[in-house]
Amino acid sequence: MQTTESRAGHTPLLEARGLSKDYGDTRALDSLDLAIAPGEVYCLLGPNGAGKTTTINLFLGFVVPSGGQALVSGLDVSTHDRETKQQLAYIPEQVMLYRNLSGLENLEYFAALGGRGSLGRERLADILVKAGLERDAVGRRVSDYSKGMRQKVGIAIAMAKEAAVLLLDEPTSGLDPKASNEFSALVERLRERGVAVLMATHDLFRAKDTGTRVGIMRYGRLVTELSTDEIGHADLERIYLEHMHD
Amino acid sequence: MIRHIIRKEFTDIVRDGRFRWCSILVGALLLVALGHGWVQARNAQQEHAAAQATARDHWETQGEKNPHSAAHYGIYAFKPRLALSFVDEGVDPYTGTSVWLEAHRQNDFLLRPAQDATAAQRIGVLTAAQVLQHLVPLLIILLTFGAFAGERERGTLRQLLASGIGRRELAAGKALGVSGALALMLVPAALVGAAALVVGSPGPAASPLARGVVLAGVYLAYFTVFLALSLAVSAWARSARTALVILLGVWVVNGLVAPRVAVDLSKWLHPTPSAIEFARTIEREMASGAGDISPPDRDASTERLLAEYGVEQVEDLPINAVGVYLQESEEFGNRIFDRNYSALWDTFERQGVVHETLAVAAPLLAVRTLSMGLAGTDVEQHRHFATAAETYRRDLMRRMNGDMAENSRTGDFSYAADAELWESVPPLQYAAPTLGWVLGNRILSLLVLGTWLVGTVLVAAARVRRAEVG
Repeated sequence: MQTTESRAGHTPLLEARGLSKDYGDTRALDSLDLAIAPGEVYCLLGPNGAGKTTTINLFLGFVVPSGGQALVSGLDVSTHDRETKQQLAYIPEQVMLYRNLSGLENLEYFAALGGRGSLGRERLADILVKAGLERDAVGRRVSDYSKGMRQKVGIAIAMAKEAAVLLLDEPTSGLDPKASNEFSALVERLRERGVAVLMATHDLFRAKDTGTRVGIMRYGRLVTELSTDEIGHADLERIYLEHMHD
Repeated sequence: MIRHIIRKEFTDIVRDGRFRWCSILVGALLLVALGHGWVQARNAQQEHAAAQATARDHWETQGEKNPHSAAHYGIYAFKPRLALSFVDEGVDPYTGTSVWLEAHRQNDFLLRPAQDATAAQRIGVLTAAQVLQHLVPLLIILLTFGAFAGERERGTLRQLLASGIGRRELAAGKALGVSGALALMLVPAALVGAAALVVGSPGPAASPLARGVVLAGVYLAYFTVFLALSLAVSAWARSARTALVILLGVWVVNGLVAPRVAVDLSKWLHPTPSAIEFARTIEREMASGAGDISPPDRDASTERLLAEYGVEQVEDLPINAVGVYLQESEEFGNRIFDRNYSALWDTFERQGVVHETLAVAAPLLAVRTLSMGLAGTDVEQHRHFATAAETYRRDLMRRMNGDMAENSRTGDFSYAADAELWESVPPLQYAAPTLGWVLGNRILSLLVLGTWLVGTVLVAAARVRRAEVG
């Protein structure tokens, strides 16, 4: 397992070095070592409570690590909160937006907060369309949007920000297969543009399909790491289930 | 970056139908209260001016009579409504607006509007000050309770903070966005108030514009306290509902419980006599004196005058001994009045200090005191006018008794003065206290409000910094 250089051979954009997090007596994350290079999609698999979301929260600086470091572009998240967040985009399980604002206004707002306030409305509308939103939905209030449409706005926020790193936390959970496929295609396009992606998911099929590498977590530990090129869907399911047994 | 947050918050609030209806309602109430207060204040001022002129006319045309009879005839003095009284009528409805100035008595004020009000009127009266002190903070709470807790519940806080914005920047942006939305309602009201003050000031006041500016500053500080408090609670609370319940509790304590407690506690700590008890005490002391204040001895007074003028019979005195004795009676009465009224006013003042001190638990108490003070409708400015009216009464009595003593002889009951004497008495010229005087009286409230302002902003900054993402 590499820590300073990813498997693709590039300097990692996202790196965990002995990263740990305790909540009281409970160890939520145990000495995680991880490195994700530009153009990699790393999928974290594991049951609830395995430490996937904790890992993402540590990279976002939402929780303080009990040990180790979370690095974005070589900068420690704990000491470079703003600089590291400028490089990040985050899409949660449910992209929550402001109901009284349109999709475009939401994008305009989040893009501005992400330091991309100079993008014009037309450009932002194009980004929304590229993210898969229909043109006539762009100006509608978000209160009318489906979950899939909101996830697309989330992708558009990441695209507008031109983030080098994308953190996804169960992004396709609850989406219908068509919307999930569209979402995966968008992630693939970002990957091709050199974005480093860390995706926490329960969806083995999506992990194999979208990811370049897969890490299986249990009880806060990364128990194995696989290259998706080297395994099939059935292999991944078998290996996963093997690790879920005591 | 912060301007984007301000703009978004402003847009979000303004588009919210609940805010639109609430602000229309509160704004309309504020404008109606300002307009109604102004019309009432102007009418009262005009009525007082007309009544004062009539009273003066009656005084000057009372005909020929003995000056001491004129002293008993007396004259009314009307308390002017100060320029900002249309914003906050303070204690005016309870203290009365006119006083009858006559010989031997320092009378209570008459014409208390609250006495004439029906039960429905008492419930229904809503002043601009009440809207500003109660409804605007409620609106602030409703706009900000979800600032952090609501964002956390909706999941947008994670996305906001993931975008690189700092918690304090977010809080500042939200505070300014809410302020902008509130300004849509408050600025027109402030402009109407300023126009009413400049164009048609209903009454006199020392430096009304300066008082108005300070009053606006006091209310801005009060609103900022609620804004900061709401942000702090919202950042701390687990859910928006919890934040709302806590803040509504604060609002109830501040606006309903604390004022009641302040009234009861101040009366318990510093009890005041009932009106009947007070009148009886004065009556008793006027009859027999109090402490080292003794009623004048008419025989001793006469003896002193005989010795002073070197004559043996009162008929030989070049002055009227009765006039001198009446003035001595006045001065005795004045000492009795001073003793009792000073004690009463001092008790009111101590009760006021209790109110101001309790403002550490409820900023409304500090704001209410400052608001009444700046509007010229607090107890202190009532005392200021009452003192001026009493000084005028004493001067009037001195003039009447002096004229009688100088221009008639003892036992001459036929002496009568005429209009020349009545006209020689200048009308009461009341100068309202300056802004410095008002603020000097209200240092404690200013300090407490300032402490609330700094304290809540610091607490908000600390709570926001530690706000959980959820």
